[in-house]
Amino acid sequence: MQPFALNYARPAAQLELTTPYSYDSGLQLNVLADGRVAAHDLALLRELGTTTSTAGSKTHFDD
Amino acid sequence: MTVLVLTCEEDVTADLVMVHLHAAGVPVVRIDPADLTGGVALSGEYVHGAFRGHLAAGGRLVSVSGLRSIWVRRPGAPANRAPQPSAWLTEEASQALYGMLRGSGARWMNHPDAARRARHKPWQLRLAQRSGLPVPATLITTFPQAAREFSRRFPDLVVKPVSGAHPQDPPRAVPTSRVAPDTDFAAVAFGPTLLQRRIAKRADIRLTVVGDRMLAARMATAPDADPAEVDVRFAAPAQPWHPAEVPPRIAEAVRTYLREAELAYGAFDFAEDGDGTWWFLECNQSGQFGFVEADTGQPIARTIAEWLALPAAPEREGLVNGSDSTVA
Repeated sequence: MQPFALNYARPAAQLELTTPYSYDSGLQLNVLADGRVAAHDLALLRELGTTTSTAGSKTHFDD
Repeated sequence: MTVLVLTCEEDVTADLVMVHLHAAGVPVVRIDPADLTGGVALSGEYVHGAFRGHLAAGGRLVSVSGLRSIWVRRPGAPANRAPQPSAWLTEEASQALYGMLRGSGARWMNHPDAARRARHKPWQLRLAQRSGLPVPATLITTFPQAAREFSRRFPDLVVKPVSGAHPQDPPRAVPTSRVAPDTDFAAVAFGPTLLQRRIAKRADIRLTVVGDRMLAARMATAPDADPAEVDVRFAAPAQPWHPAEVPPRIAEAVRTYLREAELAYGAFDFAEDGDGTWWFLECNQSGQFGFVEADTGQPIARTIAEWLALPAAPEREGLVNGSDSTVA
């Protein structure tokens, strides 16, 4: 009784990785442990994949 | 005039835009509707024919009438993190927040009504056709026999979710997958199934559109790519994205699509075939863009910030360029 498309399902990637930044409500931005704004480090964001189009997100439909 | 950003705290992609707004000196307030009744508060008064509304978060207070634009990025469900959350409270909070905001003169990226409609893939496919975009032959059906006949007409098929959503119990992902020619389609009867002719692609195209600005990126298919792996989101990221030119006919069709969809932002996915034709796959009305900017250096975040920073639209314009001034 499983829908056809689910024959092609695979376990979702574990996206809940620990990020090296946290939200600063004063700045309204995420900051790294050394105080730098995370968004200024594109290389880091790319490495983390947090700005990447990813299938299987629990939080939204839009990749 | 203030920019209102509706998104969750961990949305670092929104940060990419926020830093440009900060640098330009544009007032911006960021809230997650999930924090309503906790860190976020609202109030609206309808008295003597006038409306006065306010939002408060993080020590900031903003007037609803003082909003120039509203960016709906990755907001949580309203009041989802309230001390005693419930479906009823979420609906109450949603009606209060979005109902008030709908009465503002702010420009939306994207308006909730347009966003909700734009998520429907069957609707996307039809609009893409009408807009003049090449659309691969597609079947959405619960008839196994229809699926069998379609597979005879188009032997090389892929299957993908109709909604783009993925099952969560347990968490699974349903990538776009190739369908073997001898596949048993009986299970099509148990759920709407989207089958589509596979495009033998030589590249993936991500076209990010912000207002009138188009920023296209192209990722060539690796010569040694596994032909069974058709979903770029699951493939090993062997190839970087590079800036690409948008063919004039595609650009015109995309403009038509966005105008009809009443979207100020859209991230289009295309498959480029061996002839260079861009085949429409989908348009993500709030698609990610940071990964493209990181590879290509294209100023997507800055372009979004510039759009958000434009003045509020005059009353009673269309949804794309500004207001939904009709009070729901």
